Amino acid sequence: MANILSGAPSLAIDIVPVLARPMLEMSGVSKRFGTLEVLREVSLSVQAGEVVVVIGPSGSGKTTLLRCINLLEDYERGIVTVDGEPVGYRLDAGNQRVRLPEREIAAARGKIGIVFQSFNLFPHMNVLQNITAAPVRVKGISRAQAEARARELLAMVGLSDKAAEHPVRLSGGQQQRVAIVRALAMDPKIMLFDEVTSALDPELVGEVLAAMQQLARAGMTMVVVTHEMSFARDIADRIVFMDDGVIVEQGKPEQLLFSPTTDRVRAFLKRYNDRYRI
Amino acid sequence: MKEFAPLLHGYWYLFRGAEMTLLMAAAAVVPATFVGILLALAQVFGNRFARSAVVGYLFVIRGIPLLVLLTFVYYLLPLTGIDLPPFWGVVVVMALYYAAFMSEVFRAGILSLPRAQWDAARSLGMTRQLMLRIVIFPQALRLASPPFVSLCANLVKATSLVSIVGLWELTMASREIVERTLAPFQIFLGAAAIYFCICYTLALYGKYLERRALVGH
Repeated sequence: MANILSGAPSLAIDIVPVLARPMLEMSGVSKRFGTLEVLREVSLSVQAGEVVVVIGPSGSGKTTLLRCINLLEDYERGIVTVDGEPVGYRLDAGNQRVRLPEREIAAARGKIGIVFQSFNLFPHMNVLQNITAAPVRVKGISRAQAEARARELLAMVGLSDKAAEHPVRLSGGQQQRVAIVRALAMDPKIMLFDEVTSALDPELVGEVLAAMQQLARAGMTMVVVTHEMSFARDIADRIVFMDDGVIVEQGKPEQLLFSPTTDRVRAFLKRYNDRYRI
Repeated sequence: MKEFAPLLHGYWYLFRGAEMTLLMAAAAVVPATFVGILLALAQVFGNRFARSAVVGYLFVIRGIPLLVLLTFVYYLLPLTGIDLPPFWGVVVVMALYYAAFMSEVFRAGILSLPRAQWDAARSLGMTRQLMLRIVIFPQALRLASPPFVSLCANLVKATSLVSIVGLWELTMASREIVERTLAPFQIFLGAAAIYFCICYTLALYGKYLERRALVGH
């Protein structure tokens, strides 16, 4: 794998990892699509600077879990807080859920970076505009400051020369790195990654994973949904296994991947190992 | 060549008629576009009442020929006591009529954007207004621009109907020349050529917009 970060400036992200402080708290989150219950009373706590990788079979609720964190998907029960602040709902004095005003929800979302499987860059904007649009319009940062920061982050992922290009002229791996930079430009407190390598050619996967590894090393709090088991093993502080809308098992990578305690995880890993090697 | 002498004598009159046609079309396109966008927004983002009202309006408008509507309003306006010059009466009717079709074009443009674009904008902390302004509208309008231009060409041709209610424009001017020269084929050939030139120019512009709409997709 080519090291895309070789020769790049040192990481330009100001993160002070303070462990043992919950950055993300999900408690009792339930979500249904019609009659299908996709999340069932899911509770998850992620410490500041921790990298949590979520694995599980397709349809187990991994993506919905991520989308509920920043309320891209509304949920029927439960509460989510990031750095102690509620994201979509707060509890009132009578312990009833109260939905926050849209403006507050938007502000809370701005503190949560998310990178999607299909990049989702804005095709009518060039790379620099994609990255600076939200910092300028949402956070009110000056354009010059936002552009300087964007160029710094682009250099970090080895894309300095692509600032003026439109997304359609970039490879999938490059687009995904721009998507990571776009999320980072908002200085998020936590980053969510939703199967970010699934839509990429195998040859392009490495460059995206390298950028994520650099972020993890810098102490960014991350929740990563992935099917890349070896990457999960390398990057995760903790792996969470989901199935049928619940967290079945969680633990250190070595423990969960090599000596799981539940039959469900063992069966999943066996099927995975039959096809790939971890 | 001698057969086309009436056309050569009357061409200036036809051009003046064409000028009126263009003026009328331009005066109708602007409010039609504005109302069309509002109707599209009401249909996409409005509450149930707003959506039902817009759907009802589209249903009625689509079911009535423009000529019937023009004639109806032509006879209705004097009865209501509204003193509107015929030119502006016609412009209002055409604007409201074409707004219905334009709203469908804009609505399709908005809805054809993948949900992922909305998700990406929301995930960056954008409010709905900001998201619409900088992410959704620029893309939706680009996608809608080719059919929009096609509708504009349609509107230009539809102005020929207003001669029925006595308004003077290219078709009416042609009929007047025909009455004087008794050369309908030559004169209407000339009028058709002028309509064609206007609409062909719009079609070329539509093609250009279509190519531009594909940039980045």
